[in-house]
Amino acid sequence: MATPNQVAWQRPTIGSHAGHRARAWLRANAALLLVSPTLIFLSCFLVVPYVNMLVMSFRNPSTTSVFAPGYTIGNYTKALTDPFYLGVLAKTIAFGAVTTLVCMLIGYPVAYHLARTRARFKGLLYVCILSPLLVGVVVRCYGWIILLANNGLINNTVKQMGLAPHGLPLMYNAFGVGVGLVHVFLPFMILPILSAIQSIDPALEEAARSLGASRIGTILRVVIPLSLPGIQAGSILVFVLTISAYVIPVLLGALKFKIMATLVIQLLIDAFLWPFGAALAFILSASGAAVVYLFIRVTGPLMKGLA
Amino acid sequence: MAMPADKLRARVTRTMFLGFVIAAYCFLLLPLVIVVLASFNAGELLTFPPQGFSLRWYSHFFNSAPFITSLYFSLRLSAVAMVVSTLLGTAAALYVVRFAGKWRDVLRLLIVAPLLLPEVLSAVALLFFFYSIGLRKTVGALVVGHVLITLPFVFLAVSSVLYNFDVSLEEAARSLGANKFRTFRRITLPIIKPGVISGGLLAFIVSFDLFAVSLLLKGIGVATLPIQLFDYVTWDFDPTAAAVSTVSIAMTLIMVLLIEKLVGLRSLRF
Repeated sequence: MATPNQVAWQRPTIGSHAGHRARAWLRANAALLLVSPTLIFLSCFLVVPYVNMLVMSFRNPSTTSVFAPGYTIGNYTKALTDPFYLGVLAKTIAFGAVTTLVCMLIGYPVAYHLARTRARFKGLLYVCILSPLLVGVVVRCYGWIILLANNGLINNTVKQMGLAPHGLPLMYNAFGVGVGLVHVFLPFMILPILSAIQSIDPALEEAARSLGASRIGTILRVVIPLSLPGIQAGSILVFVLTISAYVIPVLLGALKFKIMATLVIQLLIDAFLWPFGAALAFILSASGAAVVYLFIRVTGPLMKGLA
Repeated sequence: MAMPADKLRARVTRTMFLGFVIAAYCFLLLPLVIVVLASFNAGELLTFPPQGFSLRWYSHFFNSAPFITSLYFSLRLSAVAMVVSTLLGTAAALYVVRFAGKWRDVLRLLIVAPLLLPEVLSAVALLFFFYSIGLRKTVGALVVGHVLITLPFVFLAVSSVLYNFDVSLEEAARSLGANKFRTFRRITLPIIKPGVISGGLLAFIVSFDLFAVSLLLKGIGVATLPIQLFDYVTWDFDPTAAAVSTVSIAMTLIMVLLIEKLVGLRSLRF
């Protein structure tokens, strides 16, 4: 036991006072040790690389090295004034919008069915909806290649039956890429809509029906308006994922169908135009964000009063 | 007179609706079913109707050195990525759910960010970064890329379990004399174990199937299974690729069944 005298004798100097404080702080915030490895990891390998890429997009281009000394906004002005890049950007956004719309049209009935079904194999249906996400992108695309390729299953069958002697152009174009993208992003549309519909009280539908609304009228005027938040969330997800998709356009479009993400990677990896490619990548992200913002502004008023 | 017509119309609408939903499920499953069927097909080319049952493409696969090498490499890489992200993600989830104050939402957004950002853009950013620090195209860079992408999955799986965790259980253990470490080992860990395991398995699946990150960050002469498969599909059209794909689907299926058994797929919220 320390007597008061001993404690006075051991009165900490300034240095150990600081140490004491640090130890006290650590004891109070020991839990920080749990998150600090992750924070360090993400700072080093997420924040710094993205900042580095942003800086890269303002660097001077060079023909002998990946970039020259000095900074410029020339990469952005070049991309935003060249009709070729603007055209690819417009095509990418339009393609994203169409893919989103198709996902919505296919996804909504599926989500409605799953939300209201009383089938015993509901869990199995849920796994089916998730299945595209759980299988690797190359495997999935390979399945579509078997089906859609020029000498694939569908074309061989069609040729054998003499329906189209030269086969149908199902791959290496917008159609093939669209099929692949709708397939993998459908779950991202279905799941938010599913949870939105599940939160609608079925009594509301029964009330509309008993007041004389038809089945379709009930869906159009009660269920869909109440599930708009789910539709909005799903649409944003699918749109953002589509305009930045890279692997599927490469595998099913084979570089004959050019959209922004494939173009950016081509510029970066094959042409080594790092500053310009980085600028294009940020232009794509900013355009996507602008479209999402507009979409939220337009759909927001429709959802007034909904949580 | 009006009633039967109405009923008929309702029945037709209902049948059309069900038909549409069934068609949508077929669309979702079609490429996977085709790949599995093709792998057991005896013929050289994929034709309809199939030409009989055979396992020859599986023996092609298991006798092909590039495929087996890349399979082992992928398994090792995914195992390392799984262990690292499970450790990081579980600890981070414990902090964010239990201790984080006003920074909780910021932290959660930061940790989930790799999931929200385009995978290929993150891969490019990492490529630039590793180039500038001179670690381009090393196995370490590949591991970092895989951990970055799989970390959010562990984090989300563990935090969804933690949110339903009854803290009074820990308080009871503490008041009965258990120290912090013992409380964690005997109370907290067993309760969050399903979340940790399913998060880890999910991280393994995601890492095993990762393509864009591996393509940009891998060293020369190194190939993960998806990259090897991609190379093969680009040049060859024979069903060896289908056998490889089926093995990979089967692995995923086993993992998914494990997750379903442990916690139920529906508890994974994204």
